[in-house]
Amino acid sequence: MPLRLGSIGDGVERMVEILAAEERSQWVERAQRLLHDADPGDLKAKLRDRRTRVPWLVAIPVSSMDDVFGAPDCPSYFSVVAADGSSVPPDRHSPARFYVLNTGRAILTYGERPSAVLDASAQFHFQMEDLYLYPSAGSFPIEGARLSAKMAVAELRGLREATERTETPVAALRDGSLILWGLQNEDSRVQQRFLREFLECLDDFQNAGVPVVGYTSLPGARDVVNSLRVWLCQAEAIDCANCSSPEAMDSCKALVTILDRQLFGFLKAGERSDIFESTSAILSEYGDHRIQFFYLNVDGEVVRIEAPQWVMHDSQMVDFVHSVLCDQCRRSGVHPPYPPALQEAHEQAVISITDRRLVEDMVDRALARRGIVFTRSAKDRSKRRRAV
Amino acid sequence: MRVGEIVESNSTGFVCESYELNRPPALGSLVKVHVGEARDLYGVVCYGETGSLDPGRRAVRRSTDEVYDHQVYRESPQLEHVLRTEFTSVAVGIVERGIVVQGLPSLPPPLHFSVHTCSSEETILFTENLYYFRLLLRASGPVAVEQLLAANVREVYIERGSDEEWLREAAREAASLLKHDYDRLMAVLYAIQPVR
Amino acid sequence: MDGRRLGVVTDGGFNTGLTVRLDADCPTEDLRIGDFVVVEGESNRYFSMISDIQLHVSDPRVLASPPHDAPPLVAQALAGTTTYATVEVKPMLMLDLRPDLGEATRPQRVRTIPMHFAALHRATEMDFATVFGKEGDRNFAIGTPVSMNIPVRLRLDRFVERSNGIFGQSGTGKSFLARLLLCGIITSGAAANLIFDMHSEYAFDKQTEDGRWVRGLRELLGSRVLVYSVDAKAAARRNVDVTLTVGLNQIEAEDIMLLADELDLTATTAATAGLLGDRYGGNWLRQLLAMSSDDLAEFCQSSGAHPEATKALQRKLRDVQRRAYLKEDVPFSPIDEMVTALGRGRSIILEFGRHDSPLDYMLVANIVTRRIRTLYRRKMERFEETRAEADRPPQLMITLEEAHKFLNPSAARQTIFGTIAREMRKYNVTLMVIDQRPSGIDAEVMSQLGTRITGLLTEERDIDAVLTGVGSRSFLRGSLASLDTCQQVLLMGHAVPMPVMVQTRPYDEEFYQDIRGSDQAKELPDVGIADIWAE
Repeated sequence: MPLRLGSIGDGVERMVEILAAEERSQWVERAQRLLHDADPGDLKAKLRDRRTRVPWLVAIPVSSMDDVFGAPDCPSYFSVVAADGSSVPPDRHSPARFYVLNTGRAILTYGERPSAVLDASAQFHFQMEDLYLYPSAGSFPIEGARLSAKMAVAELRGLREATERTETPVAALRDGSLILWGLQNEDSRVQQRFLREFLECLDDFQNAGVPVVGYTSLPGARDVVNSLRVWLCQAEAIDCANCSSPEAMDSCKALVTILDRQLFGFLKAGERSDIFESTSAILSEYGDHRIQFFYLNVDGEVVRIEAPQWVMHDSQMVDFVHSVLCDQCRRSGVHPPYPPALQEAHEQAVISITDRRLVEDMVDRALARRGIVFTRSAKDRSKRRRAV
Repeated sequence: MRVGEIVESNSTGFVCESYELNRPPALGSLVKVHVGEARDLYGVVCYGETGSLDPGRRAVRRSTDEVYDHQVYRESPQLEHVLRTEFTSVAVGIVERGIVVQGLPSLPPPLHFSVHTCSSEETILFTENLYYFRLLLRASGPVAVEQLLAANVREVYIERGSDEEWLREAAREAASLLKHDYDRLMAVLYAIQPVR
Repeated sequence: MDGRRLGVVTDGGFNTGLTVRLDADCPTEDLRIGDFVVVEGESNRYFSMISDIQLHVSDPRVLASPPHDAPPLVAQALAGTTTYATVEVKPMLMLDLRPDLGEATRPQRVRTIPMHFAALHRATEMDFATVFGKEGDRNFAIGTPVSMNIPVRLRLDRFVERSNGIFGQSGTGKSFLARLLLCGIITSGAAANLIFDMHSEYAFDKQTEDGRWVRGLRELLGSRVLVYSVDAKAAARRNVDVTLTVGLNQIEAEDIMLLADELDLTATTAATAGLLGDRYGGNWLRQLLAMSSDDLAEFCQSSGAHPEATKALQRKLRDVQRRAYLKEDVPFSPIDEMVTALGRGRSIILEFGRHDSPLDYMLVANIVTRRIRTLYRRKMERFEETRAEADRPPQLMITLEEAHKFLNPSAARQTIFGTIAREMRKYNVTLMVIDQRPSGIDAEVMSQLGTRITGLLTEERDIDAVLTGVGSRSFLRGSLASLDTCQQVLLMGHAVPMPVMVQTRPYDEEFYQDIRGSDQAKELPDVGIADIWAE
């Protein structure tokens, strides 16, 4: 039935009131002042101290808190490779268990001889070893977070293969984070399985000297803000339930509502922040490829750019990545800008509902030819038929 | 010269995707499809359109003060891959072993077959008879039929080497077909005046 | 231009005529009302006349905003498609084209119409020859169609076998036309002619208004033409063959009736002549002239005639009596001799010299004609008895100018001319009337005029009169109204198979040569006058 919007409407109004509240912008300014005031050395020490148990995800400044860096010039000739993926997840209503991964790629070359290569490759997974991490046991089915991880690996593989075919200089882009959050709560065997493949790709990139970057638009992260909260906190150990400093507590509470992208709102178009180290738990498994990040104003929004530390330590690579991303956003046709390479990779990857149904029909027909006619769950059937 | 491939086909005409982006054959020009041995189906281009391959995507402004026109394509090389130019043609007749029969074809042309521009000789042969004007005036599409006819007359006139005699005949035929629609007729006659 | 296709039939009916849509390359200005055209049907050829020309548009929006300063391409595209012209065409004769009939076919009355899209062509020389006849001795080329150079022929034998008329406003060349026809008739021998030449213009050379000299019939045709005159003095000067006198004994009451207007007599007065005639017979006029007042009074009492009227009559007639050509008692033999000469193929022109008042003209013409017709009737009756060819009286045509004076409704009943006109060819005597006021002529007489040759007429009633009794009147009106003032005539009637507009040939040197050249067969010996009657 249609949604009853009456009750929702009131809630929307009230929410918007809160968001628009004046105090919020004031707090962003105060947070920015904090950023400028905070001493990176002290903060780093505090955050690195084993005794500091921080209940939030924080970011450790690599050098400064508030330095800004303008966009360097782009080389006259370079390429950008981007990959994106989408999937038809396993359908519990179907007797045949399968899933489809579609990896889209875009290789855009600029300079004297501009060119573009757009492709997509779809993989239909149905073998036991693809469906389950431990096929003999039938355990750890590939779905949900594991499926996402598998997709991330496929994207990275696609990126790697593409960069092999492309002349340097080249930057590799992925939409979203390079930190495999989803694996955090998985069994370590699962983690290892996916991480191994993921990190192998990163090795190849490092060996090839090709920077690989995760681009997050409208980032919801607040790890730098959380670091500021630690900075505010006077106590040795963070114990919010028994907060010792009431004034700080107000500020602290206010900071909770602020996102990193708002914090770094002072960046001008084309400017990036200094580099920060992520302290995400899964990164302990990343070895040389621990992920660092900076924020970048692409002249329409502030985005979060992640890369392995070997990229961030190489100032040339950082400059290259910085300039390429700004250049990409300059070439974007939309607002706020979005790198065309990622846009096209996404377009290549996307699986429409029609496509999805086509696959299901193919499967159904093939089954029917073999005399296997299956019944879907009652719920599914009712969803499909929607009889009155 | 091959200029496109048929992506939609029916009894009254066909839609092609043009090989070259932004360069379909001229409005009103004659094109042909090899539908059989020594048998060509002729059409008159009646519409052209350039847009995104994916109907859900729309073109956005990409030019700046420094970058515009052809530069836009250099700046965003992916455009050539995500845009396409299509053109529609009205079927006007069959030429088999040099014999011209003007009218709708008995079969629509096969999907995915190539479409070629017509040479001057082929155009001259086909346009000796003006019966096909009736088919143009009956075409449905975004382009007004009188504009389509005028475009065809202009194109053929030039292909025939500025054939004044043919132009007069074409004007008379148009006048005869549009004798009850003076306004449309005037639109055609003034549009086909050769520019001096 | 000859035989070119003009258009195709798109509409029409037997009674209304055919509508032809003109081809795009045939401009309306190439055609004229009255043009002779041919419609090619499947089985018949229709010889027709153009009776109307109209413009049309296929889309009324053109009328609202006609293209002005249109480039030539636009103009030529519109012509014949959005804008087009039609002509109304009236078939007059049709020729059966079926091959089995071969050469024997002749044009006949139209009994059907062609189907749609039959082609319309200009008439060719062949068509003219088919319809109007080829050259031959009784086919006289009277002129050409208005825009072509093909001769139109008049059939003289049919012309003379009925009375006919030449009409047209003054200045339209009626007398030249009469000269042409008379030359043709005389040289072809179609009829003997008696011409009452009111203004003495036919016999001898005469200077026209613009200073030209035109030949007289006597000069052209020699002794085939005899010249009589009632004016003795003029006769002495000119080359007149015979001087004619008229006797009072020859004047009858009907002559007085005819001359009532000229003599300014009331009806009563004129009627008195009749009473006198009853009493005194052939002598009535001399008696009247000799009467004293007492005689008059006595006469009036006994006859019931009105005294004043009778006196007036006597007075008027005494004036008349003084005319030089009138004598007391003149035998009829000179007139009889005229008939003999006419019987031998001569033609006679009677001049009036200074006696050219309408009174003299009418009086003399009436008397002479009456006598001639009497003789002719006798001859005819004898021929009917004997059936010998030698007794057949030759066709006689009497040329009469100012015909309305003789043939107006009241006179027509009384004069010999009215009788002749109504009798048609009963006694082989016919009239050729020349007049500029055909509305003055009695309608019954008019309807008896077999062939009518008309120049421009502007008065509605004159046009009506001339078209009395002619089929297809309404469209011939259009043709009549479009004639040029000079030398263009409409020929219709007995002597032509269908009405035709003609540019008459000029009466000039070329004509004189033609006439002399064709005048071979009947060259008569140049004998003395007296001998003519002696033969």
